[in-house]
Amino acid sequence: MQFYQLETTLILQQHLARRFQIYQRIDDLEGDGHWQLAAADPLTTISEDLPISSPKGLFFGDRENLFSFDGNVFRETIPSPAPFALFGVQSCDLTAIAYQDKFFVDDPYYQARRQQALLIGIDCLNPCEHGFCHRVDAGPGVATDCADMILHRQPSGNWLLLVSSDKGEEALRGLTLPAADSNALTERKNQLDHCVQQFDDSPTIDQGIEILMSHNIDDRFWQQAGIQCLSCSGCTSLCPTCSCYGTHDIADDKGNIVQQRFWDSCLYESFQREASQHNPSAQAGTRLQRFWTHKFSPQTTAQFGRHGCVGCGRCEQTCPGVIGAHSIMKRLVADQENRDLC
Amino acid sequence: MLTLTPLPIELLSYDDDSKDSRHFSFRLLDPDAMMMPEPGQFFMLHIPGIGAAPFTFSTAPDKKGHFRALIKRMGAVTHALFDCQPGTILGARGPFGKAWPIEQLSGQRILMIAGGCGLAPLVSLIETLLKKKNVQHLALLYGAANASTQLFNPERQRWQQQMAVYNVLEDHSSADPKAQSILTGTPVDVLDSVLEQLDQFPTAVLLCGPEIMMQKVAQQFTSLGLPATSIWLSIERRMHCAVGLCGHCYLQHNYACKDGPTYRWDQFQRLSSTLSAPTNAIASCY
Repeated sequence: MQFYQLETTLILQQHLARRFQIYQRIDDLEGDGHWQLAAADPLTTISEDLPISSPKGLFFGDRENLFSFDGNVFRETIPSPAPFALFGVQSCDLTAIAYQDKFFVDDPYYQARRQQALLIGIDCLNPCEHGFCHRVDAGPGVATDCADMILHRQPSGNWLLLVSSDKGEEALRGLTLPAADSNALTERKNQLDHCVQQFDDSPTIDQGIEILMSHNIDDRFWQQAGIQCLSCSGCTSLCPTCSCYGTHDIADDKGNIVQQRFWDSCLYESFQREASQHNPSAQAGTRLQRFWTHKFSPQTTAQFGRHGCVGCGRCEQTCPGVIGAHSIMKRLVADQENRDLC
Repeated sequence: MLTLTPLPIELLSYDDDSKDSRHFSFRLLDPDAMMMPEPGQFFMLHIPGIGAAPFTFSTAPDKKGHFRALIKRMGAVTHALFDCQPGTILGARGPFGKAWPIEQLSGQRILMIAGGCGLAPLVSLIETLLKKKNVQHLALLYGAANASTQLFNPERQRWQQQMAVYNVLEDHSSADPKAQSILTGTPVDVLDSVLEQLDQFPTAVLLCGPEIMMQKVAQQFTSLGLPATSIWLSIERRMHCAVGLCGHCYLQHNYACKDGPTYRWDQFQRLSSTLSAPTNAIASCY
């Protein structure tokens, strides 16, 4: 691992822009951040705030072609994007990318994009409003195996640049940077520890996770909480680890049939409904139970080596029914306490 | 890397079987392109411009790539298929899923219980077992709503020469009076009576049909002392990808397309949500 000193991140952006398309957080008119292609001139200043949208759509497209059919032959439509860099990805979203790398390990569409991507992470120095990354091993510092490079803002206003992969080293070739001070890593650790201490650390998240992992939850709990699920798909769209999709066929402008896949939501009433109308998850409570026990369960941990939640808090931020991560955990803990009293 | 792109197939012909079901014959344009399926595995049938759905092979592809499937007219994909004429080029992917546990069935006294088009995933297994010399105890209990919805009539008549076949109809007012051994009710209703007629109590039970029927039959067998590990069922789920990615066919952490559709009863029970117990009447699912 190499450590460099940067006066400004623009030096790195300028260098990378010669070989990569740069994607960054770009704010819309309402101030919500989304991952978009950034203009090369002028360069966009790096943002340290978590955008409302994760970058998952850059690898697992919200709508993408799978194959086309000309009446006789089916042709696979694997994307072939130019090399691109995601500049300034927070640790929660990078952890989610590592999670999806495992889930989509054999998916040629995902991997075609992923192999062209360079990931430049950014350490969070302040807790975000709904985040609990530190409780689920997903931040606030970027793990070195989740990014090719990591940016860390130092108290001086300069930046520490950690190059954590061969791909990162290769991308940096041609740019001469001064080595970082010998105490820069200690300073980074101290700043990240300080950030962790700033989180509003109620024990609810840990307790809620423990209850979910135990699978010892009354059906009644899910039935009642399910009443508040509007099946809007806000949580599943914003969740950086959610990966359910549906498919449909459309005609393209050349007269071919194209099958597309699109983000779907396991919280939709029709998600599992079969042509016979048999629906194994017709009740909102059933779907909610599966959503949360898929994020937190011994089986998910066994398969992915971690929880299926990275603590970004976007579900809490967006859910109109108040059953996002914090709310559901509080409710689980309260329900458990009531059961214990009975 | 996996592929989600279908192989081209030609619709060769079809034969009606009952009111809303047909046997479709297909031909793989490249006969070597698909791996040989095992009984109980399925393929995704793509109707370009409409979509795709999973179907079982009633006859696996032969050397020429010809294979057959029994398909019931049900949703958008099957309605479009029923409008297709022979010669139409369609798509297929597969085979997918876990097959029936054919090795574990060796030397067992097997009772198969099927409802409606749930007989289709058992057809190639029955044909395979009947060709084996060591199968001596094989019986089928087949339920349907009425005579017009009974499937695989020629096959069941042929099988009757080699194995016990019990037919049960909820409404047999339109049944052929000459037809043999037609019982009244659902497979659940007549199970005790069928068990009395068998030479010996079965040691392996295979189920395919409406989920509520399979659950009731499996519970009945376990209460009679048959271990849950000797009962298998094949379930139906909505599927898009068939490779464990799209999520539609989940049973908790399992995906029926990859980890099923054939499950052992004890394993299936652990995966079933207590919140999602099927409430449909058996006949409504035939």
